[in-house]
Amino acid sequence: MLQRYLNFLRGISVNWLGKIGVILVTSSFIAFLTMEMLRLTGAITNDYIGLITYMLFPALFVFGLLLIPFAWMRYRRQRGKSTRELLDETFSTEDLRSHMFGSRLVLNIGALTLLNVIFMLAVSARTLHFMDSAHFCGTACHRVMNPEWTTYQRSPHARVACVECHVGEGVKALIDSKLNGLRQMVLAATNTYNRPIPTPVHQLRPSRETCEKCHWPDHFYGERLLRQTHYAPDRHSTASHTSLLLRIESYAADGKAGIHWHISDRHAVRYAAADARRESIAWTEVVHPDGSTTRYQNTALDPSMAATATEVRTMDCVDCHNRATHIYEEPGSAVDRRLVAGELPLELPFIKREGLAAIRPFYPDTLAARQRIDAHLRGFYRRLGEPVQAELVDKAVVVLQSTYTRNVHPQMQLDWNTYPSLIGHRTENSGCFRCHQPAMQGTKGDTLAHDCFMCHRLVAWDESDPYRYFSPAPDSARDRALHDYLHRQLVQP
Amino acid sequence: MQNRSAVALLIAVLSFWPFPAEAQKNKELAGKCLTCHKQVSPGLYQQWYESSHAVHQVTCIDCHGADKRDIDAFSHNGAQIAVLVTPKDCGVCHAKERDQVGGSHHARAGQILESEDAYLAHVTAGHPVAITGCEACHGANVRIDKNSPNKLSPLSWPNSGIGRINPDGSLGACNACHPRHLFSRAQARQPQSCSKCHLGPDHPQKEVYEESKHGNSYATAIETMNLHSDRWVVGQDYYAAPTCATCHMSATAEQPVTHDVGTRLSYSLRPAISKRQDNWQQKRQAMKQVCSACHRSGFIDGHYAQFDATVALYDEKFAKPATELMTLIRKRQLLEKPASFANDIEWTYWEIWHHEGRRARHGVSMMGPDYTWWHGLYEVAQHFYFKFLPQAMELQDPEVDAWIDRLLAEPEHRWMEEQTEVLRKQIRDGKVQAIYRDLFPQKP
Repeated sequence: MLQRYLNFLRGISVNWLGKIGVILVTSSFIAFLTMEMLRLTGAITNDYIGLITYMLFPALFVFGLLLIPFAWMRYRRQRGKSTRELLDETFSTEDLRSHMFGSRLVLNIGALTLLNVIFMLAVSARTLHFMDSAHFCGTACHRVMNPEWTTYQRSPHARVACVECHVGEGVKALIDSKLNGLRQMVLAATNTYNRPIPTPVHQLRPSRETCEKCHWPDHFYGERLLRQTHYAPDRHSTASHTSLLLRIESYAADGKAGIHWHISDRHAVRYAAADARRESIAWTEVVHPDGSTTRYQNTALDPSMAATATEVRTMDCVDCHNRATHIYEEPGSAVDRRLVAGELPLELPFIKREGLAAIRPFYPDTLAARQRIDAHLRGFYRRLGEPVQAELVDKAVVVLQSTYTRNVHPQMQLDWNTYPSLIGHRTENSGCFRCHQPAMQGTKGDTLAHDCFMCHRLVAWDESDPYRYFSPAPDSARDRALHDYLHRQLVQP
Repeated sequence: MQNRSAVALLIAVLSFWPFPAEAQKNKELAGKCLTCHKQVSPGLYQQWYESSHAVHQVTCIDCHGADKRDIDAFSHNGAQIAVLVTPKDCGVCHAKERDQVGGSHHARAGQILESEDAYLAHVTAGHPVAITGCEACHGANVRIDKNSPNKLSPLSWPNSGIGRINPDGSLGACNACHPRHLFSRAQARQPQSCSKCHLGPDHPQKEVYEESKHGNSYATAIETMNLHSDRWVVGQDYYAAPTCATCHMSATAEQPVTHDVGTRLSYSLRPAISKRQDNWQQKRQAMKQVCSACHRSGFIDGHYAQFDATVALYDEKFAKPATELMTLIRKRQLLEKPASFANDIEWTYWEIWHHEGRRARHGVSMMGPDYTWWHGLYEVAQHFYFKFLPQAMELQDPEVDAWIDRLLAEPEHRWMEEQTEVLRKQIRDGKVQAIYRDLFPQKP
């Protein structure tokens, strides 16, 4: 049997091209099986190897198969003889003798082709499965995807595969995503993609299908405590706290609902944006259950800008949670967060100020960033002329470098704040304030509510005590009026 | 009878009794204002937090709270407020300061501008600069715009000119010197506070002060000036140098602080020809008393002798003749164009008194030698002899020519016809100086 198979191989290896084909097919087949066995037995755990197993070997296998008939055609042209004559030369008469189901050669080819098809079907299934893994998305186009891959891995959704949110279900979604992938592959291969990549707000899948698989509206109730710590740029990096009780309910009696009222299925909140990033809102409205609407118009927006807002959108999760997974930090709060966690040592004088100064610039590449952050911090403590523990400085340097490389990606022209988050309100017209601002006026001259207590109550605001307003104000407090007011807001039913 | 008094007393007491509901509402509003503004204007909030107002629980609504009937009042998140805070508002607590400022020359700065129509700025430049230049210091006549969210027209807001004419009838803006919302006494005591307006080619008080020994000493010893101290008596709480505030306003061992900046000024050096103030001896005495915190009377009297002589020199030798000549030219209708400032010679005359003459007088008043001479009387003399008189002669009027000939024959102007060597000898002999002998106090 083996002898017959070897004879067959020898028969189709008519020239060097045919030989290469045979070698490629055989070796990639064996290599694939070996790698798959090693993975199944747990000997290989590195996901990156999937790129070789599921992408490279199957490609070589198909390439080798294609080479064989091509080699045969070339051989025939060179020899100038008919197929029959050549077959007679290459194969034994026994192989060529006709039977009921054709000659043994035809049967051999038929059997092997069937085997190849079965093998390729199995491999394709494995390849598709591999392409659904986050590792494939994150590492196949390494340079382009690195920022998103880096942030994803440290996000609350690190265990939800990319395709769960970005591809969706069904054949159409699969084909769309593969076609899109093909386009992106061309862009990557020809080096013509945008740097930074624009946020694909318009291609995102509806969050009703994705986010709400886990986070459905009934999930949001009560109040949630948000505690933020800010460190001052002084010698001791003095901490101050802001604590908010966030009202997040979706459903509640009229006027009592919280932030997720916007996505309650009892009504729809719609808006039209005047810019592609949906940061400048022309108008917004509530569609009530009876079909009537209450609309607010942005009176601060230039009329020529407002006229461009034609696409009407119903609000869903991503209109606020636009950075639920690919979370880029702001430099100041990135340093604060690492001080809270104890990763950056508070014992170092001016660590907030100098840490921030070290990571704030846009460096030409990651290597330069590492070097300059190192040089900045060590340089500062040398110049300070006070004894500081060298190991604390070492530790701070490493943490700051990783903070930088997590958030800033020079090769993709991605700086701090390239992708701002729309959650909360960081500036006068961002986040919630895109709509909830005095310029948003209703038909009766009323203004869209922008009262602090609609969304949160304050437990502390830039205070040394993170729970300060739970107690009444001391008589000596300069901000007694503010303190007592916020205290009453907290304790009143 | 007794009963009736008791009833009257009861009514009187009740009518002044603060309504508890109202007080509670204000307290609630105060907290609401602070909460929102800590977020939307953190710099403003922080300034207030550091101010004495915060220590004494004076909050937003106490100064910005308005009556619904006020012309600039508007509803803002449940409160009736006005953006504009006037001396009348500040005076609710600071009554003495309100009255002193109200009676001062500062408070009339806006009215003075109005009375002169800001003519030069309007005709030669244009309306925008009358707002951003003139009115920014003098004070605008505040315009109300019913359609503006804060009821104030951008034609007169923002404005913190010191003589602002407010819709409530009051004059002035306390924040001209006490910027909101820190209202720092240290800031008002620094020369930089006055230098917002008192500088430049027409009244370089800032530059003169900086040139003087006083300014020099201040710059050297700012940190010893005790600027933040509640009490600030010269010679007791600080001694390194006086600032503008020290001489013109602040307390001395014998005088209380005053917000009427004119109470220690014996001259008005503003007009073309200097004027003595009413009660000038008394005012000069008050200034001399300030000087005496550091200087003895010989020094002080000597300064005033030099000061008076220089002012008189400017007035007698240049200002009075120039003014007389301009009056003659106008009377004889010799100017080519009808509008004021449409003729060369008017600009020359204007700059001689309004710029150069003031520089000389302000220079000498505060011991700034360079401003007294090179920026001052040197320029007055050069432009008087070689610009103003030639422009007058170009008019080719026999009466004007005769007037100029008469003037140049006066002893102080005759030097032009003498030989240099003769003049040099006369200087060495004291004969040239003798011409000006009468400008100094005569020994009895």
